[in-house]
Amino acid sequence: MKSLNYFRPTSSLRLWVVLAVTTSALAQPAFEEPFSREPVEALDVRRAEYMDRIQQMQDWRIGLYAEKNYTTMDNSALSMLLIRGEKIEECNQRVIELMQSPGTGPFWMFPIAMVAYAGRDNLSAEARQSIRDAWRTTRQLRGDTENHWVMYHTAMYLMAQLYPDEPGSEWWNGLSSDENRVEGRDWLLDWMNITTTIGQGEYNATHYIGEYAIPLLMLKVWSDDPAMRQRATIVLDWIFAELATVTLDGVLRGPNSRTDDYSVVERWYALSTYFSWQLFGNVPAGEGFRGWGWGSYFAVLAEHYQVPNVIYRIATDRQDDILQHDRARSRRIWRYSDEHMRPIYKTQYLRENYAVGSHQGGLSDPIQSHVWDVTWNVDDPRGVHNTMFSLHPHSSGRVQQMFFCTFPEPMPPGVTFEGKPSYNSANKLLGCSPYEQVMQDLDTIIALYDIDPAEDFPQVNGFFSKDLAEVEEHASGWIFARGGTTYLAYRPLAAYTWEPHIRYPNGRDPTITEETGGRVLVSPHVKNGTILQAADGDEFANMAAFQAAILALPLEYSLDPRPTIRFTSLRGRDLEMTYGGTPIVDGEPINYAGWKLFEGPHMNSELNSRVLTITHGQLGRVLDYNTLSITDIVMP
Amino acid sequence: MRSFSSRNLISLRRPLLAGLVGLTLASSLLAATAYDFFICANINRNYVIGSTIVTTNGLFQRDAATEEWHHFGYNDTTISAVAVDPRDHDVIYTTTLNGIWVSYDGGDSWKMTNSWDMTEGRDVAVDPHAPDTVYFALPDGIAVSTDRGQTWERRENGLPDRGKFTQTLAVDRTTEGRVFAGCEKGVFLTENAGHSWRQVLPTETQVNDVEQSPHNDQHWLAVTDTHGAWHSTDGGETWMQIEALPDQEAIYNVTFDPTDAARLAIASWAYGVWTSEDGGKTWLERNAGLPDNARAWRVGVDPNTGRLYASIFQETLFYSDDFGRTWEPDALEGSLVNAFLSLPRAQR
Repeated sequence: MKSLNYFRPTSSLRLWVVLAVTTSALAQPAFEEPFSREPVEALDVRRAEYMDRIQQMQDWRIGLYAEKNYTTMDNSALSMLLIRGEKIEECNQRVIELMQSPGTGPFWMFPIAMVAYAGRDNLSAEARQSIRDAWRTTRQLRGDTENHWVMYHTAMYLMAQLYPDEPGSEWWNGLSSDENRVEGRDWLLDWMNITTTIGQGEYNATHYIGEYAIPLLMLKVWSDDPAMRQRATIVLDWIFAELATVTLDGVLRGPNSRTDDYSVVERWYALSTYFSWQLFGNVPAGEGFRGWGWGSYFAVLAEHYQVPNVIYRIATDRQDDILQHDRARSRRIWRYSDEHMRPIYKTQYLRENYAVGSHQGGLSDPIQSHVWDVTWNVDDPRGVHNTMFSLHPHSSGRVQQMFFCTFPEPMPPGVTFEGKPSYNSANKLLGCSPYEQVMQDLDTIIALYDIDPAEDFPQVNGFFSKDLAEVEEHASGWIFARGGTTYLAYRPLAAYTWEPHIRYPNGRDPTITEETGGRVLVSPHVKNGTILQAADGDEFANMAAFQAAILALPLEYSLDPRPTIRFTSLRGRDLEMTYGGTPIVDGEPINYAGWKLFEGPHMNSELNSRVLTITHGQLGRVLDYNTLSITDIVMP
Repeated sequence: MRSFSSRNLISLRRPLLAGLVGLTLASSLLAATAYDFFICANINRNYVIGSTIVTTNGLFQRDAATEEWHHFGYNDTTISAVAVDPRDHDVIYTTTLNGIWVSYDGGDSWKMTNSWDMTEGRDVAVDPHAPDTVYFALPDGIAVSTDRGQTWERRENGLPDRGKFTQTLAVDRTTEGRVFAGCEKGVFLTENAGHSWRQVLPTETQVNDVEQSPHNDQHWLAVTDTHGAWHSTDGGETWMQIEALPDQEAIYNVTFDPTDAARLAIASWAYGVWTSEDGGKTWLERNAGLPDNARAWRVGVDPNTGRLYASIFQETLFYSDDFGRTWEPDALEGSLVNAFLSLPRAQR
């Protein structure tokens, strides 16, 4: 059994300090006590521990306000208390106050829908009327990204169900209850259909997973339509099966459709980790549940959902390496592309102590994408930057225009004040780029770059964590390092310098930065590339042996006219890649077009089938979105 | 010089019935007519989705007596365009992120009439000869309503499968059912109310604005992201590039001065405000008096006075009474004006 000691924060992060002060008097066993990653065999014990984690999250959230007063409660605490039937008068007052200045958009809508349902039987008539009035008078925005639309349409669907048979004059958008319910339902069905057919748009999102899971859980619990409840359950299983498969001891790594400046280096620091903690119990919590804000909304209803045993065991019981080839899709592209949505081809290779993941590169999401990395395991991932990767820091108004209805100039500077502070910075570590192409074979990555010299930032950035050990810039051109027990060999294909790694503690002000102690390899050459080879510590006697093995690997490359490389990996595979061409493994071009939706030891689905088979050992579950059936099976 | 000619078409030209300034008025009528002057504006500096609205967005009417802007209608930070039924100014169409909103009572109540797959509305236009017919620009095409915006159907035959991001629509005031669409891959024309479209000006980048002269119904202008500014003097059949305007960066919109046939203006983030006073032959940068590196979002002209307005990105709205030589700050600090609209009071 691996167990952890108490975590002592050493970071100077502002947020950390604030939360630490805020929560100092609150009990938080998930943070304070050692935890185990061992699977819990007894189902009743597992359920009890699951319920205990719900209780912890709820107690902590409610406790924040119990220490002060309930006049500042957020909507998740309100919902928790309403479902518990506690502090009802305080809830009434708070609801009425909140409804005096309603918000505008899906991040306001779904929490209020949750409050409305949680309090439909015990809020006062005045408080309930205040909610009703807000949905009549306050215009709402549907937003401009897929997670926004899931939240928006879920909220409209449920609120129309809560207030049926009312005319358009009673709704902010002039549509009747029935029109709103049908509108929400039809959008949700379309999204679920696409997701189960060709994959998620915001796949493997470190934070936005919550913006999908919470509305789906609301639909599962509160929809009057049994078909909608079943659909929501299927998609919840679908999403969490993938989370279980691609996390490394609960930490989501590998390619992410969307992440942020913090999560991309401190892989544990993500809302996805909350879901691992809640569903699998295999990861520690941070003090004050930092980084897990939206998780409290899932906790409101989490008692109504628990992952099936097969998904639980995929997350917690790893006997063998996982090699998973999956498809997803890019964000919808409005213009300047022949493709409506690009297919995304993900490769995930997970071993006991590290994992390597990637997609093929190019454009996926215009602002917060992460294309590839190697992430290693550590006993306690909190505060650890346990990852390595490279990228081209692309910033482009033209690319923003592809994905948003905007003129070319405003967005690159504008988004830096909208929670994406690094977007327009040369030193950023968030992708993606149209000038990056990636191939992966097991634990080898080749990333090639052929960057337009007119780009704002014609360089390649490589992330080198503060937590690396035995870092050596070898005369051969390889850079060797050790992350945890994992040996790492990083080969930049062009000259470079080092810069301090900085982060942006204020998400809405890119001028405020702080150094982390890590470094960024900056290679200011437009014809460029990176090779990454990882290996487990058990494979070599020491770093010197690992280095000798790497240096013995055949490697040929050239950068002009286009970057091209031939490399024999540590696993004996002959890898060939030319920028603009199809990668070749052992003489065979990778046949991306033939990839299934999911293919691997635990998740399998034919493209367009809308059927996902989840397996672990003899455990199996078949999610059939065509028949809306969930079938548990026994594997031979 | 780049130019493009489309095939000649036989079309039925109808006399002007009624219309909107910038769309519909002949210059001979201008001197005798007073107009209500409107903008749709977002005063949303630093707003992000999820924020509580603390500012006022939407439609504003200019009070000529007090020279103040008065907000009316709804408050939506994503409003992008407005059009009004020339028969009944209480019928208002606006586009927003959510889609299209219609009011039949002068803005007191509104209904979102688009379906979930017709969103991110970019522009809206009413056919003055068939005012029940309304055109709705979408990032993935064009929808048309024939019942005053109550229901919509896509009419995209002839538009490219990819490349039909439609930023702007302009109805030819001379002919029922003749509409220009500014798309990603050029200017497209329908002469049968959207049932079929043909490309009359191919462009490499997005067409941001298409305008018809209020003085000469055969004179049209179009501006693009990075494919320059273009003009047509034969009703939009053939187009010539305006060499005097730069084409390396985006031009967001163009406007005619309804009070003076020789005066034109453009707005551009990169170039600021440029004007012409000889019908477009020569152009001058007119940024003196505007904030440094003026990021012009939109220009418009008040037909009552010939006053030129310039919306500078999230700055105060500016105006000029000498067509850009000097500028004065107006109100609406932190605003973006997405559309100017004038309505003849006589129509009310």
